[in-house]
Amino acid sequence: MSRSASTTFVLEATDIEKTFGATNVLQKARLRVARGEIHALLGGNGAGKSTLIRIVSGSLHRDAGAIQVSGQSNYDAGAIAVVFQELALLPDLTVAENICLPHRRDAFGRVDARHMRAQAARALAVIDPALIALLALPASRLDLHQRQLVEIARALSSGAQLILLDEPTANLTFADSERLFTALRRLTQQGISILLVSHRMSEIRTVADVCTILRDGKSVVDRRPLAEISDEEIVRAMMGEGREKATAPAGAAAPATSGGVTLGLAKDRLALTLAPGSVLGLAGAPEGPAGVIAALIGSASHPAWSITVNGEPRRFRSPADAIRSGVGYVSGDRAEKGVLATLPIVDNLAAAGRVARKRWLVSSGEVQDALGALKRLAIKANSLYALPQTLSGGTQQKLLIARWLDLAPKILVLEEPTRGVDIGTKREIYNIIGVVAAAGSIVVWWSTEFSELAQTCDHVIAFDLHGAISGLLKQDEITEVAMTRATGMAA
Amino acid sequence: MMEALTVRGPEKNMAASEETSAAIPRSGSASRLLATYRSEIALAVAILLIMGVVSFWSPQVFSYGNIANVAQSAAPLVIMALGVLLVIITSGIDLSVGSTFSLSGMVAGLAMSAGAAWPLACVAGLAVGIAVGAINGLLVTLLGLAPFVVTLITYAVGASLAFVITDGHSIALLDPTFYLLNGGQLIPGVTNYVMFCLLGTIAIELGLRKLVMGRWVYAVGSNDKASRLLGIPVNGIRAGVYVIAGLLAAFSSMLSLSYISNSEATSGANMMLQAIAACVIGGASLFGGTGSAVGAALGAIMITVIQNGVNLIGINSFWQGSVTGLVILVAVLIDRLAKVRA
Repeated sequence: MSRSASTTFVLEATDIEKTFGATNVLQKARLRVARGEIHALLGGNGAGKSTLIRIVSGSLHRDAGAIQVSGQSNYDAGAIAVVFQELALLPDLTVAENICLPHRRDAFGRVDARHMRAQAARALAVIDPALIALLALPASRLDLHQRQLVEIARALSSGAQLILLDEPTANLTFADSERLFTALRRLTQQGISILLVSHRMSEIRTVADVCTILRDGKSVVDRRPLAEISDEEIVRAMMGEGREKATAPAGAAAPATSGGVTLGLAKDRLALTLAPGSVLGLAGAPEGPAGVIAALIGSASHPAWSITVNGEPRRFRSPADAIRSGVGYVSGDRAEKGVLATLPIVDNLAAAGRVARKRWLVSSGEVQDALGALKRLAIKANSLYALPQTLSGGTQQKLLIARWLDLAPKILVLEEPTRGVDIGTKREIYNIIGVVAAAGSIVVWWSTEFSELAQTCDHVIAFDLHGAISGLLKQDEITEVAMTRATGMAA
Repeated sequence: MMEALTVRGPEKNMAASEETSAAIPRSGSASRLLATYRSEIALAVAILLIMGVVSFWSPQVFSYGNIANVAQSAAPLVIMALGVLLVIITSGIDLSVGSTFSLSGMVAGLAMSAGAAWPLACVAGLAVGIAVGAINGLLVTLLGLAPFVVTLITYAVGASLAFVITDGHSIALLDPTFYLLNGGQLIPGVTNYVMFCLLGTIAIELGLRKLVMGRWVYAVGSNDKASRLLGIPVNGIRAGVYVIAGLLAAFSSMLSLSYISNSEATSGANMMLQAIAACVIGGASLFGGTGSAVGAALGAIMITVIQNGVNLIGINSFWQGSVTGLVILVAVLIDRLAKVRA
């Protein structure tokens, strides 16, 4: 279907309202997606994107507003399908079984295997005929990119007309991202619409036609072609006037000076010595950076990297050993590796200090320290005794960083610290990295977004798709192009 | 409104992590204490309400004699629940405490009938508790087995050993001063069983709140992986809570023996489920990371009050379990509703 027919909306959600407790999460939010377009839904953390998606896809009730699918307010739930970051395939079932899972039995609960395979093959063929070869494989044998496509096929076979993708390229290689985009474009030619949530401006520019931007639960930009809106306008729409200045913690975040150490890292033929205040970037397929990080934070039983601190060989035997030697660690995998979800904010902030300082008693100073840390990083929390889940994802990330700042770590290790974080908070995190380095700490950070490494790092170790070292970039050599070439990953 | 959704990932608190905000204004230490112990206060009120309902049929529910009677029967359960609570907070479970109760009672009884003085016999009983706890802790941490499986094993073995060591006979305890452990008054005016309950509850509550190790118990149950990466000695904490649970189960048995003066191989049979129920009524989640000692103690008291009420009203005691089950359901539902609204 051609773009000119875009007056027919596959999804038209108007005046959507949603309140959680005292917070108006959505206020007259509006989202209109035309048939056969790729539509980017943008907005900062806490802007209401997730809530809107959940309402539109039917997993959450709205307080007010209207939703129409292809002009019908009474529509089949299968028409809108969501593919989340955490994929939902059953690993032990075959691709065909996974695709037909929602409707694989007849009235008597029987499965017709032949019919099922045919149906699955039809759905896969729409995306890419080459995928049909995978039909009989168990889902666990597929790589990430193939699993995403199988999920999309499952949505198609259930009659989806609109597919919502939440940060689909977060861990894809460059080649796989291109393949995904090609598949998405092919779908739009069949009249399928795509709603894309992404924090990566370059990919939004590459693939999307139209955008809607949410801020504080309102649609501040309602359906504008991306060709007509500049990057600067998008950022301003997401952040709001003046907010950018108000939230930049800048110099206020300065931790105590850490004294400073030189850090040596060596593996295979690479040997690198970092002076105090250096920022080292790690780029490439996860196995590579993970090896460096595990050695630095003491979580590897057989570290692949040898480390020297101030010229002396040093091996961190446990995370506690690393922490007491001045190594801080923040992961972007907040739910798994960072946040203590059932403990109040104050405990989350004090957690690292309790290990580092070897105290027996919970000290009353922790409350003061916690208040200070929240203030310095401009973290808005209702109470120190609230649970971390009352904060947005980006704010939780700042909380995990704040945990270390009072300890003035000599080495701060960051693992994808900007994953799923909005542009405003990302800038704050770059700011913090700069301030921490200026105070004499060495920052080692892994990111899948090369633009941010290019902005902040003075050294970058690049890894190829197998996790082997493929290059060491210094100063001016650190560009997105050079990193894409050295790693084979999408920028 | 549509309901089913065909393609959906595990919805990990998407709404919660992004846009909700629970406003619990907390200022001033008194009002914060009230906010912190809100559910425990509600539990205490509920216990009084239950007693109030029972008083329609049987006014003596509020008599000194009956209250002392309830306290006496609640004491061993309170002590045991405190240990089970620690395990539950780490997201573990201890099914072996009932067997530990029985086995340590039999060992102490054997020691006394062999002529040991009661304090020495009690030390032997407590050693059994520590040993069972240590076995649980080692199997859970070193072999990485599921707590449910490990303690199911020690539960079965312990229950059988309690029969084996006396060939199934019960032991009458004839040491005339043994009653002092339970009925004496180390602090004048406060009978020991009350003192042990208060002391134990306060000690565990303060330990959980004010000791760094106490916070680590919550951290381990809240997020095992994050705790390891934060340098928290996760295995030490996990092993430790099973040892404390075993020790408290054994101590609970000594207190009970001192009152009953007769040791039987099946004495602890019902207690494990009641202790877990006490923790759940008291607000602990079996997923770990939450729970309080005050809550668990009140939960144990509530279970005992219900049993007492069923007896006083004259309902067939076979109904006790059903009533207790119903109360657990109500407690969990109220807890759930409170969390949804927050």
